[in-house]
Amino acid sequence: MTTLVDRYVFTALRRVPEQQRSDIDRELRASIDDAVDARVEAGEARDAAIERTLLELGDPDRLADSYAGRSNYLIGPELYGVWRRSLLMLLTTVLPIVVVVVAVIEVFQDDATVGTVIGAAIGAILTVGVHMCFWTTLGFWIVERTGAGKDDLNVPWTLAKLPRYEAGALSRVELGANLLWPVLVTVALVLQQFTFTDVPLLDPANWTFWWPALIVLFALKGVWAVWVYRLGRWTRPVAVVNAALSAATTAVVVYLLAADKFINPDFPGFANADVDLRGWVSLAIIIAFVLSALWDIFDVARKAERARKGVPAQVPGSGNTYSII
Amino acid sequence: MVLDMTTDATLASHLQELRRGTVVVASLTVLRTPGYGYSLLETLSEAGFEVEANTLYPLLRRLESQGLLTSAWNTDEARPRKFYTTTDQGNAVADALRTEWSRLDEAMTDLSADSVTTPGSDK
Repeated sequence: MTTLVDRYVFTALRRVPEQQRSDIDRELRASIDDAVDARVEAGEARDAAIERTLLELGDPDRLADSYAGRSNYLIGPELYGVWRRSLLMLLTTVLPIVVVVVAVIEVFQDDATVGTVIGAAIGAILTVGVHMCFWTTLGFWIVERTGAGKDDLNVPWTLAKLPRYEAGALSRVELGANLLWPVLVTVALVLQQFTFTDVPLLDPANWTFWWPALIVLFALKGVWAVWVYRLGRWTRPVAVVNAALSAATTAVVVYLLAADKFINPDFPGFANADVDLRGWVSLAIIIAFVLSALWDIFDVARKAERARKGVPAQVPGSGNTYSII
Repeated sequence: MVLDMTTDATLASHLQELRRGTVVVASLTVLRTPGYGYSLLETLSEAGFEVEANTLYPLLRRLESQGLLTSAWNTDEARPRKFYTTTDQGNAVADALRTEWSRLDEAMTDLSADSVTTPGSDK
């Protein structure tokens, strides 16, 4: 029959490296017996003394961890920051790119509908995202346990890593967004003609002039972004050109909508509605375009004005402005 | 001053933080004369060091693997026991730790003495 002490010692030994087991077995039993004897000498009953002694030693699994020198965490404080930054970078930068690529590929499938494209995008977010989390964490866990490459990952912090707070030019991310946007809009404009619906949503008659004109305007906005990025600062000419481009784009869209030349008259989607759905959609697009154009013009003009006056950037929430040293 | 539950918990965690490491110094000091796990536990708790058996026994093996302790099984008595002894290296480490302990104690005494004035406190 196994006694309580046997069961305790066996349980602890299960999680101790094999070559240490016999030694720890003898030592732990001797220590338990010593403690029990001391309690019995002090007047306790033997069974009660054993129970109290084992209770004091506590969870045998934790004791085993302690003997084996195992750490009770996945990724320690040294590597946690690097792990978090890596994962954040993957999820916010790499994942969106992968999802866009997957969605675009799906668009070119023969039987693609809006539903399958959205489905493919959500599927990609889930699978790729989970894979990213899992493999990154596994990699860091291995580094944490083996110590291999730990110093390479844990690069010391230097002053050069401090972010800049200039009311400065376009960041690389903003440049990327400004370049990606015209491409996406152009792709959408071309694809809606052929794939999304049997009858295109937008008026095909405009391909003779207005749609190519809009694509050129979008492309010019991309050129403008490259210009601002290389210039490195917001200036008055930058603001003026931006205002001209935004105004031109909005003027074209508003003209087409107001003259009822924007939406394809043969598009069947609006036919069954009781209300004038076409009119409402047109109005909504007009308002959206005008508001976003106004905001864009104002925002860039404000940045240019701040840069001209040398007003430093504001860090949101701090109530302070920080000047460039 | 009345300590409520939160301050009790806070105090307990700070005390634990402060005591961590003292068991190493105490063990290395006591084991200059050979001793086994339970005897050391008794000696330490009588001397006023609060230490749990489940912390001390693994700690002894860790100190042994670091070369600060050596061990030998004594099978002369009815119950075989593993006796630990502080090595020369262990003694040197213990000396260094005790010196640091007294230095901290002196520094703390100086800090809490009334004569200390904080720079700028008279403004």
